[in-house]
Amino acid sequence: MIVETAGLGKRYGAHVALHGVDLAVPRGSVYGLVGPNGAGKTTLLGILAGLRRPTSGTVRLDLPRTKLALLPDTPQFDPWLTGREVVALAAHLVAPGMPPGRVADVLRDAGLAVAADRTVGGYSRGMLQRLGLAATVVSDPELLLLDEPASALDPAGRREVLDLIGHLRGRATVILSSHILSDVQEVCDTVGILREGELRYQGPLDRLLVGRAVPAYRIHLRPPLEPVAQALRTREWVTDVATGDGWLRVGVRSLAQAESGLPAALAACGARVVSLAPEAVDLEDVFLELTS
Amino acid sequence: MTIWRLEVLRLVRTRRLVAIIGIYLFFGLTGPLTARYLGAILGRFATEGVRVDFPPPVPADGIAQFAGNASQIGLLVVVLVASSALAFDARREMAVFLRTRVTGVRAIVIPAYVVNSGAAIAGLVLGSLAAWYETVVLLGGLPVGSMLLGVALGALFLAFVVALVGFVAALVRGVLATAGIAIVTVLILAVIANIPHLGRWLPTSLVGALPSRVRDGAPVDYLPATVVTVVLTVATMAGAVRFGGRREL
Repeated sequence: MIVETAGLGKRYGAHVALHGVDLAVPRGSVYGLVGPNGAGKTTLLGILAGLRRPTSGTVRLDLPRTKLALLPDTPQFDPWLTGREVVALAAHLVAPGMPPGRVADVLRDAGLAVAADRTVGGYSRGMLQRLGLAATVVSDPELLLLDEPASALDPAGRREVLDLIGHLRGRATVILSSHILSDVQEVCDTVGILREGELRYQGPLDRLLVGRAVPAYRIHLRPPLEPVAQALRTREWVTDVATGDGWLRVGVRSLAQAESGLPAALAACGARVVSLAPEAVDLEDVFLELTS
Repeated sequence: MTIWRLEVLRLVRTRRLVAIIGIYLFFGLTGPLTARYLGAILGRFATEGVRVDFPPPVPADGIAQFAGNASQIGLLVVVLVASSALAFDARREMAVFLRTRVTGVRAIVIPAYVVNSGAAIAGLVLGSLAAWYETVVLLGGLPVGSMLLGVALGALFLAFVVALVGFVAALVRGVLATAGIAIVTVLILAVIANIPHLGRWLPTSLVGALPSRVRDGAPVDYLPATVVTVVLTVATMAGAVRFGGRREL
């Protein structure tokens, strides 16, 4: 583990921001820290970055502090600096021996090559976010802490930032806090779910989703639907059938049984099938279950 | 790109250096001018039956005019400019950028202090040179030794004030709060300085060193205030580093 905390707690007066958090972040993973607003995500990242002190518990980082970088949710820089100067300053402070072309490379990767010599006071929100990311990765950190990196961006800006994060996979460990669950599901392989300062779940994303998935198929049909539903309910491997507007949700004992039996059962009752697919459980379902 | 260069750029690109140098130069140029012609100007406003007599201006009046304005308006500008640099935690996101990339807050505080106190001293020196030159042209010569000593003691006072700003910035977050508390502290020191026998120990006594030395060359002993100011400057900077390092973001 590159990051481990044990019984981590943080209080602000009477308010408990974190309580007994045992975080375990595997080296090389893209770890999604999800939770509603006020769950303690920013506080946890602040403690890991050394910006806040825990009230209780311990933090163990298996890397030097200089190999850790934090990107706040709304990165801001002195508006009279150019983008190139911001990244050059970041590089000098953390890794002064960087080759001269490193700054230009990072700015190019962030899509800021053209705007590099403009003052950042004129940058858009998305450009600032990408500049923040460029300043974060320029020193080749081993651990990146990204606090809501795409939360306030338009779809295009969000896409760019997610792609940049995706490119970090295999090069560094990333802890990404977000309440945009689709982003986490897209780029993360490990998740931790925080609610009211407590870590409700932690582990690989696929295990979280698979472990909670109830095997089911969603079938879109031409009417009439009811005869098809009745025919399917007679099958031994079908657990339940729910009907909706032009669709059936068919619960099955196992996906394997459905794969072999469902097409035949539908054909036998003359169903006019538009589409047929196993129903996926997404992170949002699990998140709501764990945090509600 | 280093933090030292960052602080220099902050002064240059935000025109704060122009503000500091400009204000001191302005008073340096207008102080002796005012001293030379104030009597004539006010004399023009004399009405029938009322006559205003001014003693003929002497060279010390030119420096006194400059020092009086510089120690008020100039000091205010210095405090505001220094606060904008030393209260670097005022905006969390900007503070995070620097603080997560240095091993200690000292790496941020020291360059900001040195560059800003350097700018303030440069302003004082340039303003004093301007006032000196113009005084010589308009009113007559000035004692070199007294001038140099007075400027040096004024520079030490400015170095103390910037350090005080750094200390206050480590206790409060906002730029205006930092500037306000620092100014109030200096004012309180100035008031306390009126207490007999105590004033000669306080940094604020150094403000009056330049006009006082030039006017009568009185052998006022500035050593106690100098020592106290040096000690306080070092102590407030150490406090700025210590308390700034303990602050959570």
